[in-house]
Amino acid sequence: MSKCKVTFHPDGKSVMIEKGEDLLHAAVAAGVYINSSCGGDGVCGRCRVIVKRGEVTSEPTGRLSEEEKARGYCLACRTTVGGDVEVEIPPESRLEEEQILTEEAKASRLVGLYSQAEEIEVIPEEEGLLLTHSPLATKLYLELPPPTLQDNISDLERLHREIRRNRDIPIMQAGLANVKRLGRLFREANWQVTVTLGKRNGTVEIVLIEPGDTSNRNYGVAVDVGTTTVAAQLINVNTRQILGTKATHNTQASYGEDVISRIIYASEKDGLEKLHHAVIDNINSLILRLAEENGISLSDITAIMCAGNMTMTHLLLRVDPTYLRREPYVPTANFVPVIRASEAGIKVNPRGLLSCLPGVSSYVGGDITAGTLASGMADSEDLSMLIDIGTNGEIVLGNRDWLVCCSSSAGPAFEGCGVKSGMRAVKGAIQKLEIDPSNYEVKYITIGNVRPRGICGSGLIDGLSELLKAGVIDRSGKMKKDIKTERMREREEGPEFVLAWEKEVDGQRDIVIMEADITNLIRSKGAIYAGAAVLARSMGLKFSDLEGIFIAGGFGNYMNIEKAILIGLLPDISLDRIHFIGNSSLTGARRAILSYEALNKVKEIAHKMTYFELSVDPRFMDEYTGALFLPHTDMELFPSVKKKLKL
Amino acid sequence: MALTGLDIYKQLPKTNCGECGLPTCLAFAMQLAAKKTSLDKCPHVTEEGRAALEGASAPPIRLVTIGTGEKKVGVGNETVLFRHEETFYHPTGIAITVNDDLEGDDLEKRIGAIQSLQFERVGQRIEINLVAIRQGDNSSAARYAEVVKKVMAKLDLPPILMSSSPESLEEALKVCAEMKPLIYAADSNNYEAVAKLAKDHSCPLTVKGNGLEELSSLTEKISSSGIQDLVLDSGRRDMVSTLSDLTQIRRLALRKTYRPLGYPTIAFTSEKDPFQETAQACAYIAKYANIVVLDGAEPWQLLPVLTLRQNIYTDPQKPIQVEPKVYEVGTVIDKSPVLVTTNFSLTYFTVEGDVEASKVASLIVVVDTEGTSVLTAWAAEKFTAESIASAVKKYTVEEKVSHRKLIIPGFVAVLSGKLEEELPGWKVLVGPRESSGIPTYLKNTWKEVSL
Amino acid sequence: MPLELVKEKWTGKINEVTIGATKGEGGTRTSKIVVGGETGLPFLHEEGEMPHRPVVAMEVWDTAPSDWPEVLAAPFKEVMDDPGRWSKKCVEEYGADLLALRLQSAHSDWGNASPEKVSEGVKKVLEAVGVPLIILGPGQDDRDNEVLPRCSEVAKGEKCLFGNATQDNYKTLVAACLADGHSIIGESPIDINIAKQVNILISDMGFPLEKIIMDPTTGGLGYGLEYSYSIIERGRLAALGAGDKTMALPIICRVGQESWRAKEAKAGESDFPDWGAVSERGPLWEATTAVALLQAGADILVMRHPRAVESVRKTIDSLTRKNPLRDSAETLD
Repeated sequence: MSKCKVTFHPDGKSVMIEKGEDLLHAAVAAGVYINSSCGGDGVCGRCRVIVKRGEVTSEPTGRLSEEEKARGYCLACRTTVGGDVEVEIPPESRLEEEQILTEEAKASRLVGLYSQAEEIEVIPEEEGLLLTHSPLATKLYLELPPPTLQDNISDLERLHREIRRNRDIPIMQAGLANVKRLGRLFREANWQVTVTLGKRNGTVEIVLIEPGDTSNRNYGVAVDVGTTTVAAQLINVNTRQILGTKATHNTQASYGEDVISRIIYASEKDGLEKLHHAVIDNINSLILRLAEENGISLSDITAIMCAGNMTMTHLLLRVDPTYLRREPYVPTANFVPVIRASEAGIKVNPRGLLSCLPGVSSYVGGDITAGTLASGMADSEDLSMLIDIGTNGEIVLGNRDWLVCCSSSAGPAFEGCGVKSGMRAVKGAIQKLEIDPSNYEVKYITIGNVRPRGICGSGLIDGLSELLKAGVIDRSGKMKKDIKTERMREREEGPEFVLAWEKEVDGQRDIVIMEADITNLIRSKGAIYAGAAVLARSMGLKFSDLEGIFIAGGFGNYMNIEKAILIGLLPDISLDRIHFIGNSSLTGARRAILSYEALNKVKEIAHKMTYFELSVDPRFMDEYTGALFLPHTDMELFPSVKKKLKL
Repeated sequence: MALTGLDIYKQLPKTNCGECGLPTCLAFAMQLAAKKTSLDKCPHVTEEGRAALEGASAPPIRLVTIGTGEKKVGVGNETVLFRHEETFYHPTGIAITVNDDLEGDDLEKRIGAIQSLQFERVGQRIEINLVAIRQGDNSSAARYAEVVKKVMAKLDLPPILMSSSPESLEEALKVCAEMKPLIYAADSNNYEAVAKLAKDHSCPLTVKGNGLEELSSLTEKISSSGIQDLVLDSGRRDMVSTLSDLTQIRRLALRKTYRPLGYPTIAFTSEKDPFQETAQACAYIAKYANIVVLDGAEPWQLLPVLTLRQNIYTDPQKPIQVEPKVYEVGTVIDKSPVLVTTNFSLTYFTVEGDVEASKVASLIVVVDTEGTSVLTAWAAEKFTAESIASAVKKYTVEEKVSHRKLIIPGFVAVLSGKLEEELPGWKVLVGPRESSGIPTYLKNTWKEVSL
Repeated sequence: MPLELVKEKWTGKINEVTIGATKGEGGTRTSKIVVGGETGLPFLHEEGEMPHRPVVAMEVWDTAPSDWPEVLAAPFKEVMDDPGRWSKKCVEEYGADLLALRLQSAHSDWGNASPEKVSEGVKKVLEAVGVPLIILGPGQDDRDNEVLPRCSEVAKGEKCLFGNATQDNYKTLVAACLADGHSIIGESPIDINIAKQVNILISDMGFPLEKIIMDPTTGGLGYGLEYSYSIIERGRLAALGAGDKTMALPIICRVGQESWRAKEAKAGESDFPDWGAVSERGPLWEATTAVALLQAGADILVMRHPRAVESVRKTIDSLTRKNPLRDSAETLD
């Protein structure tokens, strides 16, 4: 086999690969990022590159227009090299704005997808919901009385006695590693030490003993391990202050877009290892960046609290997820014991603790129990519902007496995947837009107020609703091809509507919404609405019986609830009963790290919650097709929209 | 009214102890509401709770069993007026009459004809369930019992004993009481004597009224004497009145929990023309008869009747499936493309429609995924490289085309590598994700690759 | 205590749709047919009106149907090549009061006839008979869109019923029917929601709901009949009970087409000796499909075999006869 040299522009990175390898693999080998959400199956059409020079072979694809093919565009995953090649990566296939790829930048390449940390955390804490301040790991500064001939108990018992003087802790454990260090440590520290006490599986453990007083330096990290995005939040455990929040693309996505693909990948050779390392690397890089920005030492981080769906939790802990997807769909463990963070490879204080929030079933994980805690619905007598608008579309219904949940596989459309110009809620994403019905002109606002690069979930909700209101699409989502504007046009892949012309955007193609995108979005919103409707109906309830609906999801800091109702994503109940609570999984994880009571509450929620399998419910299919219309086939369910659309 | 999961939950201990085998009390309550488990599984339900739940769960229409052994027929215990609301549970019993005035060969022939009324279609066996032996006006008790005996010797079907004479019924019961025949019928003239027979022999009994009003007063009287296994005949024979009565009986039982009519029903055809008789029988099967009695015994007449019963009593909650096999769309040649999809009917018909629209004659290999769509089947490991490969082999696709290219749905692109291993010599092509992309794909991409 | 019957209080009413226009009304038909108008479930005369009896439309093709089984083709052997004579035979010999003309010649596999050619056939039938017409395209989107507008034009003013408009292909046909004063059939794939969506999409184009008839897709006996049956029942309940105007439309079922696809209808005695004579079995299979759909709420049954047509007409006679006993019973209340 002969080797070929592939050079990627504008990075200028080169790599030697075997002849016949594809360009996507070459890019991975060169450390160059190219978008790909299908993981190289040739179906997402995102890894578009331009071959400038050299011999390549491309498989036929419907993802590129003839015009693009003529301009040298091809799909990196479907193009193999036959000799030395020079390839340009156009802006739409790149991750962020262009970066000079220093080694350091490469390491943090995927960090900070959200342009500003605040964009993740937007919901002010409701004080009433915060439980007692009893963190997973607390620090205690002790000035031990030195031993005398009279007071001659051992060093360890002395430590215990002193701790008990401060705290009411009958049973304590201390590992051998700590005991071995005691004698010398106490004496060198002049009997002034700080102990870190961790709550671990029902007992209290002396996690760490440090010389001197470090008690004012105790930090924890709450992590939301999402299928597409991993978000971490650094918290000062003593003051309960949020020091920063960062998010990154879950790099597991290069092995598959959804949980099922990843479960399959995990069963391949080294698959589980690779997936495990990918997410651990993500978490480590987030923590490192947060620590650096706040000038704190990693060794002062004593606890990590992770909330993720069941597949993410399995992969995080390197537990084989195979059985999650096989009938009867049971996880290996819902309640995972608290372990040392270093056992999973997370780089904080080597003796720091890692806790994963418990889930309910294969398809409802700790992210949802955390979200339920964060919403407060499990504390209230009133009935409410939590809808997490993500790839898995989880829905929880109930009150403090009972909780039911389901998962409605909505797909990632509202996260910007499976939509031609779609992107995540990061800088450059169109997040608000309006269409003038008289001339079909489009006004939009992007995250960070920069030139648009694509459109994110909240922009898509606005877009769908505006297209409908302006009469660009009919209620089944079909484009009206005869409307008089050059923004409406027919392409090989079908009709599309231009939201932003090439001259306005950051990149080399118009930002459009295709009829097929609309079909995808309608399916996503239909699945979520139908899931919520079936869940409510299975309990003999109507949406109007609910006191509140909490909406969670990675929509950045903006979501227009009214427009979400207009397209039938959310039920038509009065706006003051719908609350957008942002990333509720992260909020729940933070509460659990700050309060042991909250952590126990999450466990109670997981115990109490009844999982409802939608795929076996015959009503689901019916509700679903009913919801595949804008806003819904049954207009009586959407009285306010009926009025607005003058139907 | 059936209890909802939440209603039941309120009567349970709410401890989520899990001893019933389900993770939470609510999960148990919902299974109970769906009649998928029984209350005995909960060791901690209080006496009050049990009483409340059992009272509410008594079926509004009694399940009545006719016959014994393998051939026994259970009818009734329906819970809904429209099959889409849940399902109809106990298929209508189909009975064919034998008159006791038939002699020798004629009787033998009739029995033979009835014997042959069992069919095999789409892999399922369908057959009639009952034989209704009818006493003629001029027949004696002895004659009737003799015919019953002859019929029972030949036919392994539970009998309906049709006579208005208690004496004749008594004689017949001497011959076949242990077979638990349905006695037909107790009416306002004979009900005391006939009810006593039913009680003495523990046989189910038909109550025949002249209209619903008389019928319900009769059942009240008979049931108060301790006979519970009743079947209702409102006495009407024209189609409109019969349908109206059958509908009212079902509605009164389900909507009003009206106990005097909370029993299964029996309906008789009256038309002599076999086409019209079939129409009557089918209308009654659709609208609420639990037993239908026909005189006609032609196989071409019973085949549609039994098929309709099978259709109406199919559980609507099961997904609609198409038969897994290779389908040909258009005039297929050995160069036609081969597409793969699942046997969920909506998936298949969408694919079929789009292939048709492409005007490219194609083969569609339908894999048995138990009626699930592409993504659901893939997620649950029912649509895998192995299952696709085995379908391609089983349906001998390689004999139908000269090329070795297989187009799989874009959503399962991930299967392509494994599938090429499972099917040596085949090249797996990733088709569009959405079926709507098939016409473009077949017209453009397929043309490029097939060259 | 007298027994109190459970009579539903329905609030909705199914639309009445007229097919055919006589001379005074701008057409040339000698009769017309009205369907719909029900205010209750089928044939329960004591709780709702059924002002118009369900009707059978006999199916006529504009090209000889070479794939019809012998039992079905036999009665039409002499006339199959000529839609005019075929139509006449149906009306004069079999008493058809409504015909469904299927423009199969336009199908790409059946000759791909031009719009001009196809519309000639329509004219021929209109001239040959005076009964109202249902006109059905070959069911291929592009062919339908080419030929149906031309046929609609030549039948302008006759108030025909044209089909089928589907969720993905309705605009051309709706526009043509709107221009030429016809009614339209909205087809959906055994899905109550899509049925409703099609009605909404058509009416959103300014086409009155009162001129739409629903084709929920028919499953033949033994081959999915139950799905059609339940969809029709559910649609009726939504229209009558919940007052859903977008579902208050009469229903058309393609009974002949679906029932004659079944092996049970056409397989010969030599293949299935236990199934009895195919000469009886075939027509009865078709009639039984129709009878079941009547119980669900079908208004128009498109049928093929004369014996099946005759039998179903008789059944409709018995079902639409008022209930003498119940009427007298009511006076007792």
